[in-house]
Amino acid sequence: GDSWGIFTFLCAALCNLPALPALNCSEELGAGQSIQQTYDLTRYLEHQLRTLAGTYLNYLGPPFNEPDFNPPRLARAERVPSATVDLDLWRGLTDNARLAANYRAYSRLLCYLRVLDRQVGTAELRHRLAHFCASLQGLVLSIGGVMSSLGYPLPAGPAAPPAPPGAPAASNDFLKKMDDFWLLKELQTWLWRSAKDFNRLKKKVPPAVVTLRLEARGF
Amino acid sequence: DSHIQYERVGADVTMKCGSMDWDAAVTWTVNGTDINDSRLNGSYLVLKNVDLLQSGQYSCYEGSSWHLKYQTYLRVGTPPKEPVLMCRSNNYPKGFYCSWHLPTPTYIPNTFNISVIHGTKDMVCEKDAVPKNRCHIRYLQLFSTVKYKVTLTVTNVLGKNFTTLTFDEFAIVKPDPPESVVAKPVPNNPRRLEVSWQNPSSWPDPESFPLKFFLRYRPLILDQWQHVELSDGTSHTITDAYAGKEYIIQVAAKDNDIGTWSDWSVAVHATPWTEEPKHLTTEAQITETTSASTSSFMAPPTTKICDKGAVVGSGAVAVCWTAGLVVAAYSVLFI
Repeated sequence: GDSWGIFTFLCAALCNLPALPALNCSEELGAGQSIQQTYDLTRYLEHQLRTLAGTYLNYLGPPFNEPDFNPPRLARAERVPSATVDLDLWRGLTDNARLAANYRAYSRLLCYLRVLDRQVGTAELRHRLAHFCASLQGLVLSIGGVMSSLGYPLPAGPAAPPAPPGAPAASNDFLKKMDDFWLLKELQTWLWRSAKDFNRLKKKVPPAVVTLRLEARGF
Repeated sequence: DSHIQYERVGADVTMKCGSMDWDAAVTWTVNGTDINDSRLNGSYLVLKNVDLLQSGQYSCYEGSSWHLKYQTYLRVGTPPKEPVLMCRSNNYPKGFYCSWHLPTPTYIPNTFNISVIHGTKDMVCEKDAVPKNRCHIRYLQLFSTVKYKVTLTVTNVLGKNFTTLTFDEFAIVKPDPPESVVAKPVPNNPRRLEVSWQNPSSWPDPESFPLKFFLRYRPLILDQWQHVELSDGTSHTITDAYAGKEYIIQVAAKDNDIGTWSDWSVAVHATPWTEEPKHLTTEAQITETTSASTSSFMAPPTTKICDKGAVVGSGAVAVCWTAGLVVAAYSVLFI
């Protein structure tokens, strides 16, 4: 109902604005603490996702809710941003690149999830999805806050809201369900990856350095 | 000429004496011992329902000349049962290893073949020299959404069997237990124990992949463990130890975010610091003072014990040991 309207607006805002204004709260806290909070948020979301995914996969029905379900990755699913990365490449990411990858991924995942929300059948699922989207929204803002406080520009959003996966093959119910399955899988993997990304950031961003940078920019 | 023959437990085995005719006169031996004629069907040796004990070297000699006409080594065994396979990543994010074994022996040689598929890609699991029945794989990519499928096939002459494991990269992460666990008493603190340990050496990157720890401790005399979970640091001070009791302490490790807890570390024992008992002279003098006024605990007065030094208030230096010990023992019981 009303909450859906707000979320749609927020999604549009996120998807279309080039950059979010720097948030005051994170500047006050300092990047060190924001990174910790972002890390905590990814853990919370990972926990929430476990329940959400279970419910959603049951809604999709077999074989999607079977624990051994291990389908091949179809080319169409590549639209969902993948957390998979070469080990040395991942290690060598700059702080900016690391944060930006997370920011971009969750922004897009959020949009896809919202499309899902629109199409879902049961009220219980809609409620769970809405709650999850709100938390995921918080994560995106939190990452944005860390980037701003470190002086990094926010990545530009997609030019237009991404076409919801499954739109071309709306007639094929099974393919649509496969897209949903992969979306949830990628989301889960991203949350696991983010915990590791933010662990690395925690170690590499001492609060003292951040204060200097903020002072230099006259905040 | 000699060869090896493999047969299943419970099978019926018929051995021919090489090219000898059925009605030729022959003698069979097993491991050098003659086999009596009841097992023979002409010149054929018939073993019904063979068991493991019948494995051995069977030889056939021509009746009169004792020429060796045929020799075989019979090995009785079973086809393999479904093997037990385990895969684990104790060195995340480097890779993982798989190890396997048979639940019951086959008593004949087996070959193991392992295949690892990641999505559509075949991966090579490099066999370890030691221990046997183990191989390892290096991750090429991290944070994969595609599962790994490991299939182990075991084959021998009598049959084959296999088992498959399918898992996500994150699901098999289990570090080795923490190393060098040390527990020490804290001077002047009768209820404290200082415990310290190190990250398992197999964990390659504790900086980017930090471990968290679980400590458990109990006095030897109790069965109930106490637990502490520690999200960072490799030391902890126990502050609620029972004074003077010996403790057993163990630590386990887990990646901060993924996988499962390690096995418990090697147990260490420690007893909290206790106060040194005071010098015996002072003790005896004080207790002699008190026992002089309470008649019940007087040591039986015998001339062979003290003739001097036991006098109250005398400040005598020479203390009679026997009397002193007896009185000290009584007084310790009542402190």
